[in-house]
Amino acid sequence: MGKVTNQAGRGNTPPRLSLERFLTWLRRHPEFGAFAGTVVVFIGFSITATRFLTPDSFAGILTVAAELGIVAAGITFLMISGEFDLSVGSVLGVAAMIFALTVKAGWPVLGSWIVALLASASIGLINGLIVTKTGIPSFITTLGAMMFWRGILLAVTKGFPIQFFPKTMPPMFFALNGRFVGQFRTSALWFLGIVLLINLILVRTRYGNAVYATGGNRDAARVLGVTTDRVKLINFVISAVLAGLAGCIQFARFLSIDPTRGVGLELEAIAAAVIGGTLLTGGAGNLVGTLFGVLLVGMVRSGLVQSGAPAYWYQAFVGLIVVVAVIVNTRLRRWALG
Amino acid sequence: MSDQPLVQMVKISKSFGTVQALKDVDFDVRRQEVMGLVGDNGAGKSTLIKILTGVYPPDSGEIYFEGKKVKVSSPKDARDLGIETVYQDLALIPLMSISRNFFLGREPVKQFGPVRLLDKRKMDETVKEVLAEIGIRVRSPDEEVAILSGGERQSVAIGRAVYFGAKLLILDEPTSALSIRETHKVLDYILEAKGRGLSIVFITHNIYHVYSVADRFTILEHGSKVAEFSKGEVSAEEIIEIIRSGHQVATDNNGGKS
Ligand SMILES: Nc1ncnc2c1ncn2[C@@H]1O[C@H](COP(=O)(O)OP(=O)(O)O)[C@@H](O)[C@H]1O
Ligand SMILES: [Mg+2]
Repeated sequence: MGKVTNQAGRGNTPPRLSLERFLTWLRRHPEFGAFAGTVVVFIGFSITATRFLTPDSFAGILTVAAELGIVAAGITFLMISGEFDLSVGSVLGVAAMIFALTVKAGWPVLGSWIVALLASASIGLINGLIVTKTGIPSFITTLGAMMFWRGILLAVTKGFPIQFFPKTMPPMFFALNGRFVGQFRTSALWFLGIVLLINLILVRTRYGNAVYATGGNRDAARVLGVTTDRVKLINFVISAVLAGLAGCIQFARFLSIDPTRGVGLELEAIAAAVIGGTLLTGGAGNLVGTLFGVLLVGMVRSGLVQSGAPAYWYQAFVGLIVVVAVIVNTRLRRWALG
Repeated sequence: MSDQPLVQMVKISKSFGTVQALKDVDFDVRRQEVMGLVGDNGAGKSTLIKILTGVYPPDSGEIYFEGKKVKVSSPKDARDLGIETVYQDLALIPLMSISRNFFLGREPVKQFGPVRLLDKRKMDETVKEVLAEIGIRVRSPDEEVAILSGGERQSVAIGRAVYFGAKLLILDEPTSALSIRETHKVLDYILEAKGRGLSIVFITHNIYHVYSVADRFTILEHGSKVAEFSKGEVSAEEIIEIIRSGHQVATDNNGGKS
């Protein structure tokens, strides 16, 4: 990926310090910071938490990271195109609730799943249409959507959880979030597949180029022929569908859903994307960074608990990592551009 | 056929709310000529070419390209006709790599079964060649545009237009943020593009920049065309005087004259 050649232009490029070259490479690969952070935190917990280095512990981290990561993958994609989605936590709740209610009512699980995803897509489409047609910032639009859909969810369920205890587990539930080896769950495979697919789209397709251009400079992209509104609309839908998918996957794990499920998730997902080097202002980022971002967040969550620290420390720790990550990435960028 | 203009814009008008940006402006560009579109800030130069390139629809007026009446309703339409534009601030996207910028919207792809993936090698090799031609040295076409200077960015954008076989190249204030040395480089590059058969519209409010390369000039003032000259007919100082006095005429009796 980071191939560096000396052949561009005429004549010889002056010899460069290898440290400088490394830092330049680093600027183009902000995901490396998240990777390094992951390694450091990993080593730290390996020392402080006795049961950290066990397969069950890894599986626990992956279970948390995968569900967050599927949401964060969609958020990253959308953020690169220059928009936010604060409604993903509510969409996750709505999708899980639709899934739960329809499955409980005896629908075929596959059908329920598709309906839940279609409902999520519609919410994303509405978000996208409001943002692109009215020009209201996505921060406001999706803040409204977050509260609106959460309110609907609470009103419809009157605040009560929905539970579902089938006599035999439907195969679709296994596909969504079953244990396939030891404590390892299929959600990790969904997550990995989604990361690879979206990264391929970003890095190797025309659409990916349009996404970066839309977030990098919308007006420039527009005059260069990119249909930026369409790009944003599509990415709003993808972000919502992935949140909905994560909701279904969570329901397949807990077999119950309470109407506050997913509260605060949007900020965790944005944090993971930012830790991975995605710019808040759009135009830069990738899914590899987000992958390490969510691994880091997942590790912090299980590692702290296993180290015997009260769970409250989790938020403080993640907050710290976000700020440090952004400072490092910003410094690096400014340094590299002189 | 050959002395028919490449582009003819006829009686173009455009208002933004209460601001009349253009009033019945006629504008034409011949084949393989550099047309200098000049006038003070706010004269309507950018608006005129944004109408030609499909960024804004005109309120009224007609556009002919190669003799045929055309409707340019999006930047993509303009590109498809062979009109490439290099905007001062919007030439390239700084956070993206040079090669991704160069091919934005027209990326070469390879078919892999049902999917089409970017042909990265072709993109990088083409960009390396173009950069070498322009004389820009970077380590890799993968470098972000942000590392290029203003003049280098303009040159890359011009190189892109030439590479994609544009018939008309429009440059909106390409030199206004550049050093003298960089300005000369861009001016040289404009003449080279003309040598390859392109027509060029060069917009600026710096007459000295455009005078050395333009074949003809169109002068706008407060949204109206006040004069049109061939290079032999006027000196740079005379053009400056017209623009300056145009101000006075316009404020004195609300009308323009040359
Ligand atoms: N998008 C717009 N909305 C409102 N007014 C505009 C817009 N674009 C240009 N104008 C106005 O139209 C006039 C001409 O502007 P412009 O074409 O940019 O001039 P120039 O490029 O010659 O400096 C100015 O008064 C400007 O304020
Ligand atoms: Mg202008």
